[in-house]
Parts: sequence; C-alpha cells; structure tokens
Amino acid sequence: MRSSVATIMLAGLVSISCNLARAAPSLESGIKAAFLYKFVPFIEWPAGAFDTATSPVNICVFGSDAVTDVIGDVVASQRVDQRPVNVRHLTTVTRNNGCHVLYVAGPDGAAAEEALSSVQGTPILTVTDALELPNASPIIRFVLQANRVSFDIDQAAAAQNTLTVSSKLLSLARRVRPRP
Amino acid sequence: MNFGRYMLTFSRFGNLAAFTSAVLLVVAGVFVTLYEEELYRNQQVQETRVQAQILAASVTAALVFNDRMAAQEYVDALQANAQVEAAGVYDTAGVRIAGFVRNGTEGPPLRLAPTAKVLISGNVVVTAPILQATTVLGTVYLRISLEAFARRAVRYFGIFLLVAMAVLVVFVASGAQRALTRANDALTGQARELAGTNVKLQDEMEQRAKAEEALRQSQKMEAIGQLSGGIAHDFNNLLTIIKGNLQLMHRRIGQGQTDVSRYIDAAMEGVNRAANLTQRILAFSRRQPLTPKALSISDLLANMRDLLRHSVGTQVQIEMRLDADWLALCDANQMENVVLNLAINASDAMPEGGRLLIATTNRPSLAAFAAADYVEIEVSDTGIGMTAEVKQRAVDPFFTTKPQGKGTGLGLSMTFGYVQQSGGHLEIDSEPGKGTTIRILMPRYHQQSLSVSA
Repeated sequence: MRSSVATIMLAGLVSISCNLARAAPSLESGIKAAFLYKFVPFIEWPAGAFDTATSPVNICVFGSDAVTDVIGDVVASQRVDQRPVNVRHLTTVTRNNGCHVLYVAGPDGAAAEEALSSVQGTPILTVTDALELPNASPIIRFVLQANRVSFDIDQAAAAQNTLTVSSKLLSLARRVRPRP
Repeated sequence: MNFGRYMLTFSRFGNLAAFTSAVLLVVAGVFVTLYEEELYRNQQVQETRVQAQILAASVTAALVFNDRMAAQEYVDALQANAQVEAAGVYDTAGVRIAGFVRNGTEGPPLRLAPTAKVLISGNVVVTAPILQATTVLGTVYLRISLEAFARRAVRYFGIFLLVAMAVLVVFVASGAQRALTRANDALTGQARELAGTNVKLQDEMEQRAKAEEALRQSQKMEAIGQLSGGIAHDFNNLLTIIKGNLQLMHRRIGQGQTDVSRYIDAAMEGVNRAANLTQRILAFSRRQPLTPKALSISDLLANMRDLLRHSVGTQVQIEMRLDADWLALCDANQMENVVLNLAINASDAMPEGGRLLIATTNRPSLAAFAAADYVEIEVSDTGIGMTAEVKQRAVDPFFTTKPQGKGTGLGLSMTFGYVQQSGGHLEIDSEPGKGTTIRILMPRYHQQSLSVSA
C-alpha cells in the first residue's frame, strides 16, 4: 500500500520532471536517484547475492553530487518487491562490501575510476552520471536525451560482474554496448 | 389390398421420416452455427487476453521508468494486428500514458480504473494489470473488433449450404424411395395379373385339349350319323333280298320242290353282306388303336364303294379309277376314315350335285416326289372349290367353312395328321368354282404281302 502510494507520488514527480528537467536540476537528480532502485527488478544477480527473498537491497553511493544529495530522501522507505531498500554512503570502496548497486559520483574522476575498478568482477550494478571516465566502464550511465533522463547500458561490463540485464530494460536504453 | 395399405402407410412413414430428418438437420445446422459463434467469441476473448498480457509484460520497464515513447512503441506494435481497434497503457493512478486508436473507432479511455475485466459486445474489451512480481504498476486496455457479422455470416453460409444440400439429398432420396415404392407396387400388381392370366390360360388349354378330344370323337359320330340314313336303306335292301329269297324258298318247299339251295345261297349272300356292313360300322365307330398293315389301297377303296355311295347322296356321281397295285403300310380303318371324310367334304362342296372321282395311282420315285415310291390316292370333285385363303387354312384344326353344327373343322386336320404320321404327303389343288382335288401320297410297301383285304 505504502509502496503503491509512493509509486504514484513518484510517477507524478517523474511526469512533472520530464518538462522541468532543465529548469530544476534537483528534480532531474531525484529521477536519477529513483532510477537507482527502479533498476533492481530488471537486474538478475547471481545466486547468493541475496541471503533470502526478503533480504534488503543495498544501494551504495560513493563521492558526492546532486544525486547523492537527494537519494536518501527519494529511496527512504521504498521497497523492491518484498525487499526493503537501504542506502549507504561509502567513503572507500572495497570488494565484497555487501552492496548490490554502487553509484559512483564525482568530483574526483580518478577516485571514481579506482572505486569502479575495485568492484570489477563482483556482482554489483555500477552506475555513473555524466562522468568522463576513460579507464573505467560502469554498467549503466545516465544520459540526458531530449530533456529526458535516459541511460546507456554496457552489457560487457554487466557480464564481467556476472549480472544479467533484462531485455525490457535494454529496450529502454539509449545505447547498449553488447556482450563481447 | 392389405399389402397396398401397408405400402401406403410405409410411404407416409417415409414422408414423415424425410421431414423429421430435414428438421433435425436444420436444428443441427443452427446448433453448429451457434456453437461456432460461441467458439469464435471465446477464441477472440482468449486471444485478446493473451495480447493484453503480452503488452502488460512488455511495458513494465517503460512504465517503471516512465518512458512514454517506449510504451507507445509497444502499443503501436499492436497495429500490425488489424483486429485491434484500440489499446492503452495506464499507470497506477489510472492515467493513460500511451495509446493507440484505429481510424474511425473510439479511442481508449483517458482514465481507467486498474481492474481486470472482459467486456464483449460488438467487440472484445480486455483490461489487464501490469505487474512487476506482485506489484501493480498499471493497467493495459485492449479492444479487439469481432469479425463483422457479414463476414461471419459468409462463414456460416458454408454451414447453411451444407445443411441445405443435406436436406435436399434427404428429400430427393425420400422422393426416389417413394417413386421406387410406387413402381414396385405397379410391378407387383402386374406380376399378380400375369400369374392370374397364366393360370387362366392353362385352364383354357386343358379345356381345349378336352374339347379337342371330345370333338374328335363327335366328328366320327357325325360321320356315322351322316352314314346311318343311307346305311339303314342299304340294310333294308339286304333284308328285302333275304326276305324275298326266304319267301321264294317257302313257296318252293310248299310246292314240294327241294331244289332251294339257290335261294339259300342268295339269302346267305345277303346275310353276309349285312354282317359285313355291321362289322364295318362297328369298327368305324369304335376307338381302335392304329394297326398298320401292308394292304392294297385300291382293294380297300373298292370295298368302300357302297359306304361311299350312301354317304354322298344320290345327286353325286361316284367314279372310281383304282389303278394302283402297289401295297402301302397303313391302318385300314384310318384310311377308310380318311377317304370317307374327303368324300363327305366333296359332296358338301357340291350341294347341286356333281362328279366325285376317287382314283389311285402308282407313283414311282421319279415322279412328283423324288424321295421314294408312293401310292397316290386322289379325291377330286366338281364343287365350289376353295379360295387361296381357305386353302391355306384348310388343314388348321377347327377351321371349317361349313355351317355351325355341320362341320367340326377336324376332318382335314386329322387326315393331314394321319398322313404325316404314316410318312406320307397331302396336297390340295383347288380354285373357287373349279372344284377341289386332294392328293394323298402314302409310302409304298415293298415286301410282298398275301393279305389284301379290309
């Protein structure tokens, strides 16, 4: 019930945001923040990534930008199916940190690259926003397209992290880099 | 009669059966049509539901990420199905975020309560929830047009045609059955008639055979009847001779003379002749089996002179030329009968009187018939003769030109039969007004025989 109310609210938020993305960057960030947990149902983690069917989804953020600022508010008390969603702010990124989704923000591009490479090969959905990172490849990158928040998906990176991305999500992506 | 009624009942029953079959067929046709219609609707609903579910599953991501364009793409993909009239995708608030409507039809509603339902009227409307796991993300709306009734009617027309043909076949078959029954009836009737006619015919044949037998006998008796007048006269003459001689003998004895042997001889001669006559009448009238013997026909006929004279009457002159001296194998009584018949015929042909010629001739094999030697008996008159038609039918049984009661029509027929049995031939030579000549050829008997008598 709460979830559906939240969804309705979010939908309203999203529909407004579509038009106001440029004018109000905070709304754009809110949408991106919401996407972080909305991706979850379309990603298949390997067995063992979650303890039980009701284990929480851990969304970790590293660095700081507009998205990390609002994510706490957006994700608060959200659920993905039967799983509660937790948000953790990390100061250092290590392997096997219990994260399912890792959002890497700026402003330090080198630190971001290091953070991404440190979780390479582990079952973590890595997401970045508009960062130019020549030496790292996140699975999902947010992009703006025709005033709308969209994303690119790197299937090769997903495969490296032993994740499977639903074709439904792929069909919404602006660009998909296929598996090798 | 009972049979006919049964057939009639059967025919009525056949009619009823045909009618019942036709009605059953039509009812079956209607049921099949209704069933088809129901099946079609169910199938359409099922198809629509499946498409709605596919659409619902496809648009989850688009709905989650509020990607109207992606949702619209999915909805637009349904356009490929010409039956889809309208489709829509609604979020949890019931607001339409994507939709598609085919030209000329009503569009999908702007807002839609998130309930799953199915509506059928002129079209099928299905709404289905969009689910992600157990979370309801929204609703899809899908409206599919049912095939126009006209088009469905065309499909059902096939069924109708089939039913109509079946009904037609039933009626034609029943008609054919009735026609067959009628024909059968007629045939049975004809067969019955034929059997009846056959029985009647056999009856008639039996009766005719009996009548023929009776006539054959009566024909002989008729001849006797004709004879009897003359014979009685003849017999009287003989009695007169005997009586006269006895009276003369009586007178001589009264005068004391004993020389009476002359009178006794004369009386005895009379008695012998009378006895002979009696014998011959008895022989003639009795049914005697054929006993062919080798005999001289000339001698036989010579002895018949008196008999013939009495049979033909006084106005007919009898001439006999008995030249044949060959023997022939035949039954004396029968031969006499034949000649007597011919003589009576000849005298009947000469009511005003005339000449009757009875002649016999030896006919060696080189003459008229090449096969063998024959003895020819010719009976010729100067009477009225025969027309060609009468001549042709002369030997037919029961054919006669004599007035009723006088002729049996069997005389010549029996003569012909007898001659043929004996291996002989019979020839008629006659013209109207020029008299009739009948020739009989009897095969010659070669072995010399002593007995020459009848």
